[in-house]
Amino acid sequence: MFRYKTYNRRKSMIIFAAVLFMMMFLIGRLVYLMVFCSEYYGQKAEDLHERERDIKAARGKIIDSTGTVLAANKTVCTISVIHNQIDDPEGVIAALTKELGISEETVRKRVEKVSSIERIKSNVDKETGERIRAYGLSGVKVDEDYKRYYPYDTLASKVLGFTGGDNQGIIGLEVKYDEYLQGINGKILTLTDARGVEIENAGESRLDPVDGNDLHISLDYNIQMYAQQAASKALEQKQADSVSVMVMNPSNGELMAMVNVPEFNLNDPFTLNYEPRENVSEEEKQNLLNGMWRNQCINDTYEPGSTFKIITTTAALEEGVVRLTDQFFCPGYITVEDRNIHCHKRTGHGAEDFVHGIMNSCNPVFIDVGLRVGPEHFYDYFSSLGLLKKTGIDLPGEAATIMHSKENIGLVELATMSFGQSFQITPIQLLTTVSSIINGGNRITPHFGVSVRDGEGNTVKTFSYEETEGIVSKETSDTVRYLLEQVVAEGGGRNAKIAGYSIGGKTATSQTLPRSANKYISSFLGFAPVEDPQVIVLVIINNPQGVYYGGTIAAPVAKEIFENILPYLNIPYDEKAAAETESELAE
Amino acid sequence: MSRRPKAEKNEKKQIKYFDYTLLFIIIFLVGFGLVMLYSTSSYNAQLRFGNSAYYLKKQLFASLLGFAGMLVVASIDYHIWIRLSGLCYIGALGLCVLVMFKGSNYNGSTRWLEIGPISFQPSEIAKMAVILFLATIINRIPKQMGKFSSVIKVMIIVMPILGIVGYSNLSTAIIILGIAVFMVFVSSPKYAQFFLIAGFVGVFGAIFIALEGYRAERLLIWLHPEEYDKGYQTLQGLYAIGSGGLFGKGLGESMQKLGFVPEAQNDMIFSIICEELGLFGAICIILLFLLLIWRFLVIANNASDLFGALIVVGIMAHIAIQVILNIAVVTNSIPNTGVTLPFVSYGGTSVAILLTEMGLALSVSRGIKMEMV
Repeated sequence: MFRYKTYNRRKSMIIFAAVLFMMMFLIGRLVYLMVFCSEYYGQKAEDLHERERDIKAARGKIIDSTGTVLAANKTVCTISVIHNQIDDPEGVIAALTKELGISEETVRKRVEKVSSIERIKSNVDKETGERIRAYGLSGVKVDEDYKRYYPYDTLASKVLGFTGGDNQGIIGLEVKYDEYLQGINGKILTLTDARGVEIENAGESRLDPVDGNDLHISLDYNIQMYAQQAASKALEQKQADSVSVMVMNPSNGELMAMVNVPEFNLNDPFTLNYEPRENVSEEEKQNLLNGMWRNQCINDTYEPGSTFKIITTTAALEEGVVRLTDQFFCPGYITVEDRNIHCHKRTGHGAEDFVHGIMNSCNPVFIDVGLRVGPEHFYDYFSSLGLLKKTGIDLPGEAATIMHSKENIGLVELATMSFGQSFQITPIQLLTTVSSIINGGNRITPHFGVSVRDGEGNTVKTFSYEETEGIVSKETSDTVRYLLEQVVAEGGGRNAKIAGYSIGGKTATSQTLPRSANKYISSFLGFAPVEDPQVIVLVIINNPQGVYYGGTIAAPVAKEIFENILPYLNIPYDEKAAAETESELAE
Repeated sequence: MSRRPKAEKNEKKQIKYFDYTLLFIIIFLVGFGLVMLYSTSSYNAQLRFGNSAYYLKKQLFASLLGFAGMLVVASIDYHIWIRLSGLCYIGALGLCVLVMFKGSNYNGSTRWLEIGPISFQPSEIAKMAVILFLATIINRIPKQMGKFSSVIKVMIIVMPILGIVGYSNLSTAIIILGIAVFMVFVSSPKYAQFFLIAGFVGVFGAIFIALEGYRAERLLIWLHPEEYDKGYQTLQGLYAIGSGGLFGKGLGESMQKLGFVPEAQNDMIFSIICEELGLFGAICIILLFLLLIWRFLVIANNASDLFGALIVVGIMAHIAIQVILNIAVVTNSIPNTGVTLPFVSYGGTSVAILLTEMGLALSVSRGIKMEMV
């Protein structure tokens, strides 16, 4: 038997020492990995394990001045399947096909697709979602979600706007105030294994969503309804292309109504509100939709026609080139340079003073007055009254004024401009400018947004709007109001007269371009009460059939609206004015 | 500084020695291994077999078999293996040849031999057979071990089994070669020739790697695991280790075992240990293995004869090589190669054979005669 010798022992010691050395090296390596690289690898591992799911934040409501909710949220469900968790694919397919009303083929494709999570259908009713949940199918997820909901379908559709799939505003106030309305989505972080299956009891971390704030607007549901009814009636009676009505407080620019009939259904904004001709391509359909969504009060410009004579009058009064007593003679036309420009009354108004000139809406009178102001100064008034800039209304897509450049304004241009032709402005621009003239000379910013409040009603932000004081003098403002009162009392606007209320206004009938098409825009702009205007209304009827005179068809619409809203707005019934009207009628 | 048991030199004549320390370390390691195996494998077991204890049961059965083998081997005199080692070697060689033709395929490699309900890896048996056989050979010619020719002769004897095992399982072949080299190194009084051999191996290894494209790719994966698809396992192991931190996520709390580290209960189990028990736990395990190896050293250096000592040196080499290679692979310190962590990784044959091998070491420890020293 051989002994284990000393050299053997020394050698086994060497082996042990080598092993010891290597193990120490490995420990060092572990220290490096687990202390110094821990954060790096740990983070990478976490990224691998975590799956993020969004919890949608509820979008803020849009609430009118009466407290009526115009845009709210409805709970809907999103149905999805998690491929790996499905035990009984056939059962799932059958149940989902039955409940969701989509083809079995579609459901089958999504159920059998190997993905971590596959959405079957979103915006499913809550009831349907609950029925699906009641099946207790494994691998089927029913997530509750919010969908924008408009209780009054078409009411102020082009003002409110609607939202898209990600709860983002697409048009109207929804997009303008998106940052306030949109909340902050929450998150659920769940841990999953390598197959993407969520781990139960893993203590998911949750970041609660912050709901959006409510937008309070100056729009008044009742006034909007009155205006919409009146506009719809006119649209139908006159077979017009569209009718727009705006109701505003002229002293501060708060819009109480903005109607553009035909409106569209906000709960179904991607369906045209008329039958399109057949074979409409996707691109054409989108164009048609964009057309349907247009807010004609803001996005479109037109030649204002005679309502613009208010501005010509203002310029002439400010310039001091006309007095109310100035005498004019209208032979039915006026010659400017080498052109004869006709009055709408071809036989002429004959001799008349300025008051009657505006009551008759006599073109030669205004051409004369406009020429007295002169091209340069007329342009300057145009500018100083704010007509060259946008109004700054809190709705997207406001169109700019289309105007001659200053050096191109000759006498003929000036003549046509003085009765509201050869340039284009938006209806809101006209309404705002006239408001600024009649309110004593403060250029206001038209708007809907009043304040933003959180869910508990605490004010988060109150909006303030730019005002420019003194764009016209107090006297001019008073005179213009007086003149416009005469127009309604005895002139072209008498169809808007209401017993007991002093109303000022101006009608207009403008021919659209090209003139050969013989299409007209009839409009009426009116305000009440004359002494202290609290409400101003602009009615625009686009392409009416049959009679197209503003005084005949647009003024009655405004009258109908006034009849409803003046009592509603608590504008005092004026006994004296009532008596005067009666005595007039008796004559 | 060998620590021979010196106590009570003259008082008692024949104290029966039994290395209980070794036994308890083994029991602890196996117990710990089973706990970690269950923690690591339950997810995969549930997923694949619908029974979270599937792997645990099999491992437990193999461990019990191993403990039985250990007790039997520990209780018989190890000198019996001088006569049986040749038979063992031939038998192991036969089984390894058999597995080449009749082995069953699992995970793309043919390493398992099925006999009735039991399937096992002959290559695991080969390791033990080589230890016994080499100890026997060297024990016959201890005086000639200084000669270089004898060293070569001994190495040639293990060549057949190396070739056969290496055909399908290179890692095991490397372990067997390592065991053989260590045993020869210990039995020889010389140093220089071994350094020469080491030098040759190094040079040839480098040429070998450079010649074979896929081995060079392995090297690249080792250096930049995140850039290669095949680096996935390594990278996931690193994620597991890194996310463990100082004290780990706690037993059972590993995320990486949930399918991220593929087959986490096999070669990569140490990465899950790191994740669950942290640096602290990982170092404890390494120290435990070090303690085990140190016990082998003590037994070898106090063995009553060369044969016993050589057996224990072989066992020591076996355990040390596997532990070091496994941890080095898991920590991406060396290129990936499939080596299991003794007593902990899943593998019935491995744990059963290892425990039987421990029985051999315990048997040698019983031969230590206190009064001799």
